[in-house]
This record gives sequence, C-alpha cells and structure tokens, in this order.
Amino acid sequence: MADTLIHDIVEPAPVEQRLRPPRVRKTPTTYILRFIATAYLFFLVAWPVSLVVTHTFDDGFSSIQALLSDPDTVVALELSAYVAVFSVVINTIFGVGISMLLVRQQFPGKRLLNALLDIPLSVSPIVVGLALVLVYSGRNGWFGPILSDIGFQIIFSTPGIIMATTFVALPLMIRELVPVLEEIGIEQEQAAQSLGANAMQRFWRITLPSIKWGIVYGVVLTLARSLGEFGAVKVVSGNILGQTRTATLVVEEKYLNFDPQGAYATAFLLAMVSVACIVVVAIIRPKNHH
Amino acid sequence: MSIEVRGLNKKFGDFVALDDVNVSIPTGQLTALLGPSGGGKSTLLRIIAGLEKGDSGTVNIEGVDATNLPAQKRNVGFVFQHYAVFKHMTVAKNVAFGLEIRKRPKDEIEHRVDELLKLVHLSQFSHRLPSQLSGGQRQRMALARALAVEPSVLLLDEPFGALDAKVRKELRDWLRRLHDDVHVTTVFVTHDQEEALEVADEIVVVNEGRVEQVGTPDQLYDEPANDFVMSFLGEVTHLGGVSLRPHDIELDTQPRLAGGVEGTVSRMVRIGFEVRLTVLTVDGDEVSVVVTRTHARSFGLEEGSTVWLTPADGATLIPRMAVAG
Repeated sequence: MADTLIHDIVEPAPVEQRLRPPRVRKTPTTYILRFIATAYLFFLVAWPVSLVVTHTFDDGFSSIQALLSDPDTVVALELSAYVAVFSVVINTIFGVGISMLLVRQQFPGKRLLNALLDIPLSVSPIVVGLALVLVYSGRNGWFGPILSDIGFQIIFSTPGIIMATTFVALPLMIRELVPVLEEIGIEQEQAAQSLGANAMQRFWRITLPSIKWGIVYGVVLTLARSLGEFGAVKVVSGNILGQTRTATLVVEEKYLNFDPQGAYATAFLLAMVSVACIVVVAIIRPKNHH
Repeated sequence: MSIEVRGLNKKFGDFVALDDVNVSIPTGQLTALLGPSGGGKSTLLRIIAGLEKGDSGTVNIEGVDATNLPAQKRNVGFVFQHYAVFKHMTVAKNVAFGLEIRKRPKDEIEHRVDELLKLVHLSQFSHRLPSQLSGGQRQRMALARALAVEPSVLLLDEPFGALDAKVRKELRDWLRRLHDDVHVTTVFVTHDQEEALEVADEIVVVNEGRVEQVGTPDQLYDEPANDFVMSFLGEVTHLGGVSLRPHDIELDTQPRLAGGVEGTVSRMVRIGFEVRLTVLTVDGDEVSVVVTRTHARSFGLEEGSTVWLTPADGATLIPRMAVAG
C-alpha cells in the first residue's frame, strides 16, 4: 500500500527508473495470482476493517461525538497516547543502543540476547502481564513490596502499563534497525573517524542520518503496537475507570456492555492513528529508501 | 622518515596477519605495499591509520608515537576500496566533513572545497549525492575528502580495486600526477604488480605477514631479494640452480656455449611475435623459455627438437630456494 501511494504522488527520479526491473509479460497465471492475493487481503483485512468504519458512521458523526463528550473515554484515550509515547521513546533509545550492540560488537551470550529479544513477539501478551505482576505486584511480588514501601506503585498504575506496553513492543525497533545497520556497515564511520570525528560526532553526523528511516519505521510500528496493546495491559492495569483504563480496554468494556456503537467508534479512532502514521511516512520518505 | 613501523605483530585468532614487521616510509614519496591477497598489507595500512590495533610493536608518524593514538587524532587521510562515501551528504558536504569537524570558518571551508573539487575534476557535481556518481568519480571524491584535512600521510587501501580496467588505468595515471602536484606522503596497497611498478617511487613487498623486500621498482625487478619477490613481479623459471626470467634464457641447437644444459622441446605455443617453449632438460627440470618468432624459425624449432639452454648475459639470476614461490 505504501508503495502504490508513493508512485501516485511523486514521479520517480531518472536514476531510479534505470534500476527498475523490466516489465514482466502478463500471462493468465499473473492474473490468477493477483486475484488470489487480492481476495485473500479483502476477506482477511479490508472487509472487516471497512465494516468497523461503516458501523462507526452508521449515524453520521454522532457516535464519535458521544465518545469525545464522555470524560472517562477521553481520559482513556489520553492515557493510551501517554503510554504509547513513553513506550516509543524508551524503545527508540534502547532499540538504537541494543541494535548497535548486536551488529557492531562480538560478545559471549550474543546469540542468547538475540533470542531473548524475540520473546515479546512469541509469548502471549497475557503471559507478559502475569510475569510483570509476579515481579512487581505491591502485595506479593518478588520486587514490588520493596518499591511499594518507598511509595512507588507499579502494578495497577501507569508505570505498570508503560512497562507492559514497552515490553510487548520491544523487538519492533530492533528488528527494523538491525538490517539497516548491517547494510550500512562501519566503513563510513571509519572514514569519519580518520577525518577527525570522535564517537559522538560519528553517531550524530553519520550513523543517525544513515539509519533515520529505519528509526522512523520503528517508531511507527512501535506506536501502532503500543496503542493497540490489550492483553498485557489488561492484566497489569487493574482497569480502574478514569485512572488506568486505556482505550483498548474501553473498546472491550463498551462491547461487553452492549454498546457496540461506542466500541466501534473507539476502535475506529485507534485504527486511524496507526493508519495515519503509515500514510504520513509513506508520503514523506524519500523514494530511494525501501 | 614519515612513517616508522617497528616490531609490529598482529593475529586474528590463529591466523598471523603480521609477523614482526619493520618498515620505514620516506616523506613525500608514493609508496606501494605490494603483495598477494591475505598477505597482511591491508592490515598493516589499517594499523598505521589506527583503524586496527596491533598486538605489539610501535607506529610512529612524523616523529610522533601514534601506537596508542585513536584514528581521529592521527591526522591521516584514508581512502577505502569501496569508497566509504557519506551517502546522505552531497559531494561538497562529503569533502567539507573533516573541515567542519575541525570547526574551520565557513568561507574558508567553502573555498577549500571548491579548490579540491577542481583538483579532482568534480566541480560540476558538487551538489549531487554520491549515488549519482560513477565508481571512479566516487573514489576521486573520497580522495578529495581525505586531502581536505591536509593529512600528514595519505593511505589508500586498494583504491582502484573495485573499478573496471579502463577507469583503473586512468585513475592510476591521475594519482601519479596528483602526487607530483600535492607531494603528500602517500602509501597505497595493491596486489597488482603492474600498478605498483608503474606508479610507485618505492615498493614494499609484503607476503605472509612479513616484509620480503623494500626498494625502487627497478631495484625490485633487477635485484629481487628472493624467489618470492622475483616470481611476484613477473614470470620465473628455473634453470640449473638458479631462478630467472623465461626471456633471459639463451637457446641454441648446438652445445656451443659453456655450461649449456641439454633438453628437449616438449611444448611450443606461439603468441603473436613470441614463442613460448617448455623444455625438459636432462637434469629432469621443466624450463619455460620465451624466444621471438624469428629466432624460433631460424633454428627450425619444433616439438621434440634437442636444444641447449644458458642464462643470457646480464640476466637477473637468483639462487633457487628449496621451496619455490
């Protein structure tokens, strides 16, 4: 989708044109394959999502208006945004650091670290939530009571939600950056070094600009994942109305309380933020980056 | 001496890349580090630049002990085989990088960049991105970038290795002329003996982590220190107890000259004006001999002919080593 957008809006540069593979001759097989791919995407993604949109606007904008006039829902949306921003910032900083460590350094346990980084993707978010409760619960957690004694509550509070969300979205930035870092190699940095640049100057002037688009994509994916996180957050948040209820929990709550209209409207808002991010990036990114 | 390397050792795991290397590189000259791939010449260059660290030994650049100095403080220019251009910067920005790091005034940077781009014939490309340049242009840009900071030494690691033969030849001539203008002490790594013989003032032959010989191209070609240097700089064959070039063997169909070795022509290949012969001697050696077409015809040579071989007067001869290179 991102690719079609780009081609419609901007004309490709002459250099790009030369690199493009020659047009493949279309055979019946081409059309059959296209049909299968389109049908698959339609039934799995496009149709269900479009139903959310149409249901949201069954009565025009009234459902959205109703949603935004409910203070509890507004607080939930704000909390979701707040948590997502925190998760993005934390995952970006650590993602860049860990990616550089993985690509540039050799150390014992590197494979283990690499495998650990995939756990958040392979383990159910509910398990993540329960694991965090085991460690940080204020009453009987492994580490929670100590923090609780100094007046710092994690579980059933915002820090817990941020931790759970950050955990779940952790690998996205790293998986986005590692291939980019591997591709650019270290020669540009070595060249900068021989020209007199110290480590900080090399990072800001060479490494960061080179991985810029990887970071942008990582941010978009992390943001989308963080906004949509449900399972882990449900376990650690306690779902306290107006305090620790996030937007995804509102969707569930409204759906279970026979308010499908409200559930669809909230779901629509959440989906729109993610779609908007992807569209904006697709429009602003330079064409020679894939 | 501009660069002094003393007792340098470097291992990668079990592999010995450099084995007690001692080299002195003279000021203001164009020096080639010549040797086969994997012989340690690039490692030596990278250690001089500070991009790699030796296990032991010292590196002295312009009288300063640089052994423990980080690369950014050595004031060396380094040019990579694959250019290492800053892809996100324009040509002018690439060249200006070192000067911007040194926080020179803006107009001075601008002036210097203009001057350098003129020197490498890239003035009209100053606002392009490196991806819009050809390989040869990128390498010239990389060279301008390295020269911008007025380095005390310029190091080039197989600078033309990634270019096609024609551009390679052009850039080689151009580097020689550039060096005659700029006079910065320059060291370049190559595995191409023709490139080294043609461009360099002085050649350091490196093989299996050791320096085999240091000398001018003429010295190396005329007085090779050993079998390896001789064979690396051109074709070599063995006659009796010595190594020599195939075109330095005199051939006769009669045992006229003293010390001639008798043999039988086992193979004859004609390539243009020259004829390459393989002669099996009575001592059991297989000797390559090159003669001119006219010469071969006047003797009426053919496969199976009996000939006598002697080293020509003034030929470069070196005693044959137990293990021939």
